[in-house]
Amino acid sequence: MKSYFDIAGDGGSRVLEQVRAKQSRIAAALAGVRRMVAVGSGKGGVGKSTLTLQLAHALREDGASVAILDADLNGPSQARMTGLGSVAPVPGPDGLVLPRTAAGIGVVSMGLFVPESAALDFESVAAGDSYVWRATKEFAVLGDLLAGVAWGPLDFLLVDLPPGAERTVQYAEFFGAAAALVLVTLPSDLSRGVVARSVAGLRRAPNRVLGYVENMKGYCCSECGSVRPLFAESSAIDLGIPCLGAVPFDPALAAACDRGEPLPAAAAGPAWPAVRSVAAAIRGALEAS
Amino acid sequence: MKFLCVLCDQPMKLVEVAPPDRGALSVLYECPECAHRIAMLTNPFETQMVTSLGVEIGPGGEKTESKCPFSAMVPGAGAPGAESGVTWTASALRRLERIPEFVRPMARGGIERFARERGLSEVDEAVLDEAKSFFGM
Repeated sequence: MKSYFDIAGDGGSRVLEQVRAKQSRIAAALAGVRRMVAVGSGKGGVGKSTLTLQLAHALREDGASVAILDADLNGPSQARMTGLGSVAPVPGPDGLVLPRTAAGIGVVSMGLFVPESAALDFESVAAGDSYVWRATKEFAVLGDLLAGVAWGPLDFLLVDLPPGAERTVQYAEFFGAAAALVLVTLPSDLSRGVVARSVAGLRRAPNRVLGYVENMKGYCCSECGSVRPLFAESSAIDLGIPCLGAVPFDPALAAACDRGEPLPAAAAGPAWPAVRSVAAAIRGALEAS
Repeated sequence: MKFLCVLCDQPMKLVEVAPPDRGALSVLYECPECAHRIAMLTNPFETQMVTSLGVEIGPGGEKTESKCPFSAMVPGAGAPGAESGVTWTASALRRLERIPEFVRPMARGGIERFARERGLSEVDEAVLDEAKSFFGM
């Protein structure tokens, strides 16, 4: 009796054919992207999105063409942080026109399409069993976004990943070897422990992990201008990947992000040079590969 | 998924996908040798697992759900111009069809509003280009 692999094709369902066709459309849409860098962590609340936006500005200041894909479909923040929440999507000749900030940074985020007052919900014939199919559906939507946007030529496409160590690995596998990973941690054992799980999981993924960024390493005091400790810092957990730099928490910079204001105008504190240094380290690591 | 006619040792051919009924799908297969037919019946749970890949099933591309996952959250998710009275030229519609399906209702609503505010009753490629400039893209 014939086995599955003795029979050519996929039985007439065309499922495999459609999945492969979509992969081809994604590859074609991203053909002009030189570098894809996914910013993840595993831990939530470490400032992945804020740092992603700051890195985009730093790279843009150096003359690079940059776009951000907010891959956190359920908790998107880039639309608000870039002040693009009220921009209407416009169909262009090659797909959705890439919305851009005043600084010229392209931004695609579910926050452009779903209001903050609504939870991301999918129509489904099995709505009560969403724990089984929802992750698959989200990756299908992400694939539609990648394939349907006119990304154009880009030096950097930064991908803002959602939290979750296992999700970080899933997204890395989804984007494939073309995406390099940068992990963000706080300078605490708790955070480093979770990021260590991501590092361990990513060893099975095809992606290069460029290193980690210690975010919120102290805070910038608005009164005296010095950087003071914010967390009980520890180096007990060795992540085993290069440190790309440390960035202090700057309340003025964070507030500018919350309000969707242009970052360079709020970048007078010591955090901005640190962000620029991390951006340079990322460029250096990519160029060394 | 493939089906094998054990008697003939031949792969069965997908013949027809019936329209979904309350989330259940009926897919008809036939053996090309003996013409024996079987039907694969899925429950909504199984149907959803496959359609979550963003694919359509069968030779005719049977849709098993609305492809716009947010249609309940976006007002006026019908056909272009259905509610606003603004019509779309064929070339403008082609552009609309190239963007992700779940973005289309919002794009359509925004563009039609943009057109109405300018006293236009038709969306063509020039209107889309004007909208692009207006939104600073």
